[in-house]
Amino acid sequence: MTDRAAWRRYLRFLRPDVRADVDDELRFHLESAARDLVAEGLSADEARREAARRFGDVTSVQEACVTIDERRQRRDERAEWFTDLRLDARLALRTLRRSPAFTAMAATCIVLGVGTTTTIFSAVHAILIRPLPYPDADRLAVVYSAIPRKGIHGVNVSWPDYLSWRDQNRTFAALGLYTWGSHTISGEGEAERVESALVTANLFPLLGVRPLLGRGFTPAEETPGNDRVILLSHGLWQRRFAGARDVVGRAIRVSGEPYTVVGVMPPAFNFPDRGQAWVPFAPEEWMRTRGNRGLAGAIGRLKPGVTLEAARADLAVISRRLQREYPQDNFEWEAEALPLRDDLVGDLRRPLLVFQGAVALVLLIACANVANLMLARAAGREREVAVRVALGAGRRRIVRQMLTESLVLALGGGALGALLAFAGVRLLRLLFPDDVPFYIALGVDGTALAFAAGVTTLTGLLSGVTPALRAARVAPGGALREGSRGEAGGGRRASRLRSALVVAEIALSLVLLVGASLLVRSYRALSGTELGFDPRGVLTARVSLPGATYDRPEQRRTFYQALYARLAALPGVERVGSAQGIPFSGWDVQALFSIEGRPAPPQGQELDVHYQRVSPDYLAAIGVPIVRGRGFTEADRDTSVHIGIINEEFARREFAGEDPVGKRLKFGDVDSKDPWITIVGVARTFRHYQLPRPMGPAIYFPQLASPERSQTLVIRTTVADPGALAGALRDALHGLDPDVPAYAVQSLDEAVGRSLWRQRLQGEVLGAFAALALLLAAVGIYGVLSYSVAQRTRELGVRMALGATVPRVLAMVLAQGARLAAAGVALGLAASLVATRALEGLLYGVTAADPLTFVAVPLALAAVALLATLIPAQRATRVDPAVALRAD
Amino acid sequence: MPKPTIDLLQGTLDLLVLKTLSWGPAHGYAVARWIQQLTGEVLQVGEGSLYPALHRLEERGWVESEWRLSEHNRRAKFYRLTTEGRRQLRVETATWERFVAAVADVLRVTEQPA
Repeated sequence: MTDRAAWRRYLRFLRPDVRADVDDELRFHLESAARDLVAEGLSADEARREAARRFGDVTSVQEACVTIDERRQRRDERAEWFTDLRLDARLALRTLRRSPAFTAMAATCIVLGVGTTTTIFSAVHAILIRPLPYPDADRLAVVYSAIPRKGIHGVNVSWPDYLSWRDQNRTFAALGLYTWGSHTISGEGEAERVESALVTANLFPLLGVRPLLGRGFTPAEETPGNDRVILLSHGLWQRRFAGARDVVGRAIRVSGEPYTVVGVMPPAFNFPDRGQAWVPFAPEEWMRTRGNRGLAGAIGRLKPGVTLEAARADLAVISRRLQREYPQDNFEWEAEALPLRDDLVGDLRRPLLVFQGAVALVLLIACANVANLMLARAAGREREVAVRVALGAGRRRIVRQMLTESLVLALGGGALGALLAFAGVRLLRLLFPDDVPFYIALGVDGTALAFAAGVTTLTGLLSGVTPALRAARVAPGGALREGSRGEAGGGRRASRLRSALVVAEIALSLVLLVGASLLVRSYRALSGTELGFDPRGVLTARVSLPGATYDRPEQRRTFYQALYARLAALPGVERVGSAQGIPFSGWDVQALFSIEGRPAPPQGQELDVHYQRVSPDYLAAIGVPIVRGRGFTEADRDTSVHIGIINEEFARREFAGEDPVGKRLKFGDVDSKDPWITIVGVARTFRHYQLPRPMGPAIYFPQLASPERSQTLVIRTTVADPGALAGALRDALHGLDPDVPAYAVQSLDEAVGRSLWRQRLQGEVLGAFAALALLLAAVGIYGVLSYSVAQRTRELGVRMALGATVPRVLAMVLAQGARLAAAGVALGLAASLVATRALEGLLYGVTAADPLTFVAVPLALAAVALLATLIPAQRATRVDPAVALRAD
Repeated sequence: MPKPTIDLLQGTLDLLVLKTLSWGPAHGYAVARWIQQLTGEVLQVGEGSLYPALHRLEERGWVESEWRLSEHNRRAKFYRLTTEGRRQLRVETATWERFVAAVADVLRVTEQPA
């Protein structure tokens, strides 16, 4: 039995030669048979021949046996592999359980690494990678107007330009047009305002989206008068019409007009961002001016086989032709085309890529930490490994066992990390604005989980391979011969490796900290910008009067007068005003103005001025003072088209050294038919556009005689939370006209804060990663030094016995930590200077080489590193020489 | 004398090998000799076909093998029945007996059934 067992073990390590065995076996048979035949009296030759005859076809028997044996061998090897795996995994679990502190620390690193990486990957996947919800979405392109020479890009298109492009191009299968809108749906229940879009009939077909019910629009419906038809979103249909299939053909009231429902779009379709209803794009007379850009966006589908480059060249030819034909309206204007996804993702691409890079660094730091912990522990296990090698375990076997251990660890950590990613994505969703466009579905899906699995495996291999290879290099003799306390098996090399890992960790964390610091400082700079108005305590809300019942100016005047009066009577309300668009709302209308008595400026240098029509109290309500002249009053009603208030920026640029009050200007050219407008006052310049866009010249007109149908109310209150007045506001509106809903109700503070969400997201996400990196690096440094102190117990004991003082020992260990920190910081600074280039374009108010950041952050990091060395250093001073020397 | 069909031969050969090994470990040549002696000239099988049968039985785990010295002091591959193989031998013997009995019954009948 014993020799059978030995034979088995031999077989296990040396693959038996199947063919030779079969040969031996068959030869034995033939020779035995021949010998017996000789004994029966045959000659040797005859015996051999007879034996072969009785045996039959030797070759085919041989082949049959070899085939069977090889099959069996493969099966056995496979089974053995799995058995080994099970054994290794069980051994790994047992070892991990035996050192809970190590396991907890390493697993935490992996959980954090995998969790953050998967969270960010989920966002990157949802926003940058997952195909848009249109068939062949990579064939879709948006087309804008642009003047590249002046840096003007992404301007919307005018209707006549669109028609020229649509009809003259040879590269698009179809080119459609849309513009954002909003409509009030009333009748059959409470009136509600929904986001909508005006779309050309060809747009949805070219996107490849078909109505779920009914039909799309026809080209005939693109003319005013024929355009009273509406398509509903699936959500609106379900919510407001309870999913009734007979809704198609039904007449409903849209913004006070009768419309016919022609169809319902499929679920999860909310073009362009959050649209809930669509009506035909029927250009009114004023839209038919070629120079009237900023009206609508164009989307086209490339013909099969046509590249975007070809389409650009095609559009360039048309643009040049239009520049010649319409030298006034199309001076320098070109068309620019870009992939639809780039247009949708826009500003988010760079921060997301930065995040992805940042989490990769966090993961690397986590891996370095785990590797470090394993190396430290492997050093303590050299005897165990040596014993196994001595007992006949091969190198491959040892490496495999160690790798299994790190993989088991990674698997546990990775599973928890994936769970953490679910929480992480929820958190991320909170940082995103609450109105994410429909094509972005933030969540942890199968792809993200597969990604997590991949990252987990990578982590296991990355953090396990170095310790495993080192362990396999253990010389059995050496480790066994030396004393249990010896600096076993090249301890110096191992500790150098661990030090290198810590230096790398510190360097990587520094890169992250510098990046985070720059982004946080940018956000601080932005949110600390002097706004010029006072957003505190102001409630805002959009209202929109239906055209049918509020066609005449007196009707609108009466309505707003009554509304202002009701709102002003509410407790806590100080002032009520309204404007076409409040600050940070995206309202952006500019026009060319000419000043009386000035020569016409050369083409391309005209005076572009932001303008809007506001109620007399608007500027006061948002807290903007008049610095010169006067504000508007009710008495200005009869002259309201002839007066205006400019901002200080306008005064500074155009009336330097003069008093602008009393000066006159007009829309367009000096000799246009528009009336002269007299400047009656100058208001403080305030930030109307979203930061960081600066405010240029602006002019405000009073809307007294003929108030706008759609505008935003601003209600300045004395209460801390103006949102509490939203109910009273709705009641007031409902009391006046139940068909007029209030929408986009929010405080001005909220509106300002929300406009900075991207910068805040950048600062907070990168800040969180940097904090994580710092923590991991601190753990790493702590681990290495603790281990080093533990290993040097005897040396330290000797030193203290020979008279080394406590401060000396403390200084010795601290110096070791300081050397690591210094090397890491130096390396990190060099890396940061390169890495922060990725942040350009995301920074505001700081440069990528911000001196403060590059001084303060390394100092802070060094401080944390030293703090992490303090605990092991202190432990070193408590070494009792007597105990340390007796330890062996 | 006509030869039995291969299918019949295959299962029968396995059964005979298992049976001979139930007396104790043996190398292939011994198994061949025993089968030859016990069946006389009834089964005219090429001795070679015994080996694929032995290897197949080993693959199924019914027999196991080891290299040992033969009675003439030569290296030979010895096969022995495993516990599994012993059970298989019992099952196949029972099946064989039922089969033989059934065939014998049929052959004894002198009149065509109604």
